[in-house]
Amino acid sequence: MPEDPNSIVVKDVSFSYDISEEDSGKAPRPALDGISVTVEKGSYTAILGSNGSGKSTLAKIIDILEVPDSGRVVIFGRDGGDDDMFWDIRSHCCCVFQNPDNQIVGTIVEEDVAFGPENLGIPNPELRERVDQALKDVGLYEYRHKETAALSGGQKQKLAIAGALAMRPDILILDEATAMLDPSSRDDFLSLVEEMRILKGLTLITITHDMTEALRCDKLIIVNRGKAVMEGRPEEIFMSEDLWKYGLKRPVKFNFAFEIAKLTDSRLTEDDLRSDESLISALTGMLSKPGIKEPVVPEEQDKKEDGKNVIMSVKGLSHTYDGSDVKAIDDINLDIMKGEVLGIVGESGCGKTTLISHMNAIFRPSEGDVIIHTADGDLSCRNKKDTMKIRQNVGLVFQYPEYQLFEETVFKDVCYGLKKMKIPKPQMHKMAYDAALKVGLTMTEINASPFELSGGQKRRAAMAGVLAMNPGILVLDEPASGLDPRGRQEMFAIIKGLRDSGTTIVLVSHNMDEAAVNCDRICLIDEGKIKAVGTPEELFREERAEELGIQRPRITRFSGLLKKELKKIYPQIEFGGMEFNPEKEARAVVSAVCKAGEADVQ
Amino acid sequence: MFSKISLGRYYPAHSFLHDTDPRIKTILYAVYLVAIFIIKEPVSIAVLAGIILLQLILAKITPGILWSTVKPMLPLALFIFLINVFTIKQGDVLFSWKMITVTGYGIGRAAIMAVRLVFLIISTSVLLTLTTTPLKMSDALEKLFAPLSLIRIPVHEMAMMMSIALRFIPTLAAETDKIMKAQQSRGADYDTGTFINKVKGYITVLIPLFVSSFRRADELAVAMDARCYRGGKGRTKLNPLKLTVRDVLTGMMFTLLAVLVVAIDFSLR
Repeated sequence: MPEDPNSIVVKDVSFSYDISEEDSGKAPRPALDGISVTVEKGSYTAILGSNGSGKSTLAKIIDILEVPDSGRVVIFGRDGGDDDMFWDIRSHCCCVFQNPDNQIVGTIVEEDVAFGPENLGIPNPELRERVDQALKDVGLYEYRHKETAALSGGQKQKLAIAGALAMRPDILILDEATAMLDPSSRDDFLSLVEEMRILKGLTLITITHDMTEALRCDKLIIVNRGKAVMEGRPEEIFMSEDLWKYGLKRPVKFNFAFEIAKLTDSRLTEDDLRSDESLISALTGMLSKPGIKEPVVPEEQDKKEDGKNVIMSVKGLSHTYDGSDVKAIDDINLDIMKGEVLGIVGESGCGKTTLISHMNAIFRPSEGDVIIHTADGDLSCRNKKDTMKIRQNVGLVFQYPEYQLFEETVFKDVCYGLKKMKIPKPQMHKMAYDAALKVGLTMTEINASPFELSGGQKRRAAMAGVLAMNPGILVLDEPASGLDPRGRQEMFAIIKGLRDSGTTIVLVSHNMDEAAVNCDRICLIDEGKIKAVGTPEELFREERAEELGIQRPRITRFSGLLKKELKKIYPQIEFGGMEFNPEKEARAVVSAVCKAGEADVQ
Repeated sequence: MFSKISLGRYYPAHSFLHDTDPRIKTILYAVYLVAIFIIKEPVSIAVLAGIILLQLILAKITPGILWSTVKPMLPLALFIFLINVFTIKQGDVLFSWKMITVTGYGIGRAAIMAVRLVFLIISTSVLLTLTTTPLKMSDALEKLFAPLSLIRIPVHEMAMMMSIALRFIPTLAAETDKIMKAQQSRGADYDTGTFINKVKGYITVLIPLFVSSFRRADELAVAMDARCYRGGKGRTKLNPLKLTVRDVLTGMMFTLLAVLVVAIDFSLR
């Protein structure tokens, strides 16, 4: 085979993690199963796939961090199977991983950046120059003598990039590097990486669950069960109807566009998907055709008019951490209505977690109070005697709850809280099973060890542990983080189910798209203070969002562009309220066009 | 509560002792360790306290930082003090009740023991942990113990492991805090109940903590691999250790001071 010096070639690679499965007797499913992909030098490629599809393993194979069981990896003409070559390859290929904390070696910023080039044996003064340059490139030069532990999540990921750049690589692999960042640090991080790609001529490979992020790439590779199932330009891939099969979705604006195409009996082409402008002009074209049928709006059975009773009131709550002189939260006043989904939205470090930690008396209020209104009277978080009752009434699920599982079986883990509450056994078992079924676990999973489950299942098992106590209020901190698109959708279906069965839900999120779709009201927090509270429609109106300085959901921004164009064609068009679900918004736009069209005819 | 652990924490600042070569500081630490355990006379203890105060000033360590370092160890110091007070039976009896005898000599000895412990903690932090980053400390240990690698002791690897362990203390402390909060919100109570129950309560914290430490270790190993770590061979250093005249003089001065303290102590016996 002629070796192409200008591409990364992975050919028929299979790989299994050696887990000694002697007890179970079954061979482990290979992480990679005869995969072949090619990535051009200097390109920008995204590898997509569901959790456990093998995409991270593929990245490790490219960096020769794992050696394939069979098949070949050739990086720019250098054979990865060659023992003399593999250090050479690895030193020209860098990875940035998901969890910032688990890839920082140094205690001080510059020490950490130097770690890679030190390993390569770069002598001073070149070493010093590389470290300084890398820190300047990512904008952390002022922080070079700071402790790494004192950096924010976004800064830690930039530090990881600096550590990579200091090695002067040809290839940079981002393995879900943005998954733990909030939207603004995410954009910041991606623009930085893209700038570096141009500046240093890097080949950039990104592994992500974020479909809109994938749109920024030249090429997408979809991995499913250890095989590359699709490969192509983003517009080619997102034309396909098979994405859902692989646990993926289209980006929201495409969902919206495809729904409009369906409702107007038109078809979108690859060319239409190429840019926002082409897509908008294609959609305006479809919507200016005569004879569009008014879409049938499915009956909505929800909107129980429950939300009149306050179930929890936060009153003048402030909190300052020891050794800090800034208030983490400052005079928070908030009423939570029975039966609603309240979103708490804000950037990392704005005080969201501090606030919710007060909601079930994990933090006892030092200033102000949190009152829980129950059928048996009010409970105050200041009152030590009420603690147990409060924790029974308010369930709190922290971020990444699956890391906190500890029992031998899922069932025992779910029972833990009930046991602590001294619930009698027969009742306890029933409550535990109910909770496990509510989050969609099967009987096999309930009796399995929590450590045998997949990521998404683990998360649901951990949620069941909180749900088992049958709390009237459930507080969820980023319940969908780190899950693939299908996992996210399933998680929100569970949350909707809980709401429909009468549970009040407080949802902490930094994803505006999801907050807008899933919340009845949103509370926006900024630097420890409440900046605004209102329904998504109120907060995401263009002028209001601008005033608040928040990013509107992607669907709203895109649909806004389309609406502007439609106004030019139908000057008297009336758009109703905003919808945040792409399909619903598509229907709303099509109906508005129909009505405007009829008015034209008359 | 665990997030405030200051054990092994570095205090970033620019000071005389921060800039001193970590090898010198390690040697000085050994010298002071010996001195602290040799002396028994109040006068020499007072002189030693003066020297330690000088070191604190040279390291620009604020009383707040010092207090947060010493505070967690005070119960232990008190415990040692009481044990000694009640078990030393020589000297004039000041107070006696049933089994318990308190003597003047005993109180003096007990106080010295407790003070030694406090000095030990302050010396460890001021000479090492607070003023030396873990990577520098591991560099120093690697250099000082380099001769041992001749008899096939993996000095570099051990130094690296130590520095990583120190680097992860704050991370794991934060994690412990998170796990405890999650379990508390499910009704766990670590503060009440019998001793056995409390220990049992902590086991449920330890299991997820261990699991996550293994996961972190795994991820860190991959990340280090990806950054081409392959042991100490051929590694260069961003800030190579350089012994300056000032370092040597600092080392000699503080060694002399330690010798002086010991000499005073012996002359008073």
